[in-house]
Amino acid sequence: MTDWLLLDSARRLLADTCTYEAVQAAETTGWSDPIWGALQRSGYTDMTSIELEDAVGLLTLAGEHAAPVPLAEATLAGWLLGTAPGGRVSVAPGGELRFDGGAVTGTSRRVPWGRAVERVVVVIDDRAVVLPAAGATIEPQANLAGEPRDLLRFDRARPEDIRPTDQDVRELGALTRAAMMSGALTAMARLTIAYAGERRQFGRPIAGFQAVQQHLVSIAQDASLVAMAVQGAARAAQQRRAGFEIAAAKVLASQAALTATRAAHQVHGAMGMTQEYRLHHFSRRLWVWRSEYGDEQYWSRRLGEAVAEAGADQLYPLITGGSAVI
Amino acid sequence: MLFEATDLTAEELELQTEVRAFLEAELPRGTFHPGLGMGAPRDREFSRKLAARDWIGMTLPARYGGHDRGAVDRFVVTEELLRWGAPVGHHWVADRQTGPVINRFGSDEQKQRFLPAICRGEISFAIGMSEPEAGSDLAAVRTRATKTGGGWLLSGTKVWTSGAHESDWFVVLCRTGEDEDRHRGLSQLIVDLHSDGLTISPIAFLSGARDFNEVVLEEVFVPDGLVLGEIGQGWAQNTSELAYERGGPERWLSTYLLVEQFLRDGGPAAEERALLFLGRATARWWALRRMSLSVARMIDAGEAPAVQSALVKEMGTRFEQDLLYGILELVDCEPGLEAADPFQRLLAEAVLSAPSFTIRGGTNEILRSVAAKGLSAL
Repeated sequence: MTDWLLLDSARRLLADTCTYEAVQAAETTGWSDPIWGALQRSGYTDMTSIELEDAVGLLTLAGEHAAPVPLAEATLAGWLLGTAPGGRVSVAPGGELRFDGGAVTGTSRRVPWGRAVERVVVVIDDRAVVLPAAGATIEPQANLAGEPRDLLRFDRARPEDIRPTDQDVRELGALTRAAMMSGALTAMARLTIAYAGERRQFGRPIAGFQAVQQHLVSIAQDASLVAMAVQGAARAAQQRRAGFEIAAAKVLASQAALTATRAAHQVHGAMGMTQEYRLHHFSRRLWVWRSEYGDEQYWSRRLGEAVAEAGADQLYPLITGGSAVI
Repeated sequence: MLFEATDLTAEELELQTEVRAFLEAELPRGTFHPGLGMGAPRDREFSRKLAARDWIGMTLPARYGGHDRGAVDRFVVTEELLRWGAPVGHHWVADRQTGPVINRFGSDEQKQRFLPAICRGEISFAIGMSEPEAGSDLAAVRTRATKTGGGWLLSGTKVWTSGAHESDWFVVLCRTGEDEDRHRGLSQLIVDLHSDGLTISPIAFLSGARDFNEVVLEEVFVPDGLVLGEIGQGWAQNTSELAYERGGPERWLSTYLLVEQFLRDGGPAAEERALLFLGRATARWWALRRMSLSVARMIDAGEAPAVQSALVKEMGTRFEQDLLYGILELVDCEPGLEAADPFQRLLAEAVLSAPSFTIRGGTNEILRSVAAKGLSAL
């Protein structure tokens, strides 16, 4: 059962802390102590005590408020390790790492907030390995949304913990991104609908024009479809490995990232192109999250292969039953 | 949040299994020409068999021959019938909209008379809404009923009346009040399609097929007992009837069988882009179905999901067309209505009927207007 109390208080906390100014500031400094501190004090950074479905709900809210902190990574680390590593933690989505005796050497690329965390979880073969960030050489980088995505070089780093894992980091990573994208799409839809109701041209709100209404409807459809997909994926993942549902959710979220930002920007006109107006907190995140942990093409192909392998007689059972069928 | 996530319960999944087993036994693949969604052929015998399983008029009250089931149960049965290409034409309109509307607005006498026969899969209804000058602007209907002893005399012309020549009755939206009273002057009458003064003429589809009709009414006598609901309430009743028409599986399954046949013929083995197409299509079907199911769940909870239904129908019908055009880009195959090859035949039927997906039951432009008005709930 969904824990509405938990999600409601998280919504309030994020709304209070992730203000326009706070998100802008985090982009400049690469970290936000006030936001992370507030989440940590309320226990939202230790996802192992939270049901998967609620964790996905929490990440959706993080996306809805453009929270500039590695909440997705804290979640992912908990899922991979089965325990909370504690403190500020990130997860390396990729790189080249190898065991050298009991130590780890190599490079992790695009590590979210690598510069600001205490430890990094990397997956080497079928093991989730916790490495101290302190020993790494860090090259700060960022994505288009101004989120730190750093390059970390480890030289004979001593793991703090090693646990066997059968989890697919790409699949679970895609679920975190799809969830945040769902939230960002909802925020973008609300912002755009409100703006169209207020902005007047030719003597009336632009929401009164049918051509503008079409954009609003299409954004609402994208946001609703992705929300349904993410919630469906979370429900399935709560019960079993949900490769089908997660793939579908990431395909749809990545498609919507393009169609919905296009429509939202069109409705906002020049105002949407400025830094002072908040639309870009969502549109820029959607543009980068769509390719993190596999883009629309990657997941469409994986899904298409599963469909082709299941065959014609299984096509409809797959549409209704998803990963319970394959 | 406009939609709430929902899954089928164990009982609903059991119903799904029963319907699948019924169809496999009754209509084994390869033994019949499947139809595309709700455009599937009419088959009285099949409708009767379905009724014998209690799968027609499911949501109607048991005391009128129905089965006291919910919208979700009906959803489960409907999606399986449509994706199988089953011949649902005979009972389709009565089961989906006329039955529920008579149950909601009709007199006890009308319910006794029509509902049990609908639930047995016997009688068939058509829809008497559109006119030459009243399409999307339905309140512009001109067909008029004037009071006479014991009933009404109905005159006017209805068009695009699907299946009128093979149906028993139709519900006619007509004018009973003053002209200046655009909405309040409308009423609904239940009209026998075999009445004196009623002429049905075919309007051939662009393919030459017979489905559409023009129905001309010349002083057709309709007894008082066949006024549906209240005189002057036709607009409100009709709006609720349209809501039954929207948001169901028939709005995203019309081209399903084309894709299934493509897969059956080994289409994807040939190309990478076919795999991408299948992946995208399946992802969208899965999520759209969840939205559509959520609409049915809302109806069972007593809500009126008009905005949600409009959103689903608008995107579902566009998706039906996108699937066809996506398939056409993948195959080098001439569509053929008379072809022996099932894929060629389905392709031909889809090409010829696809433009209607985004028109029938309310154009996508109108649906967007309906949806736009309710978006503040997001």
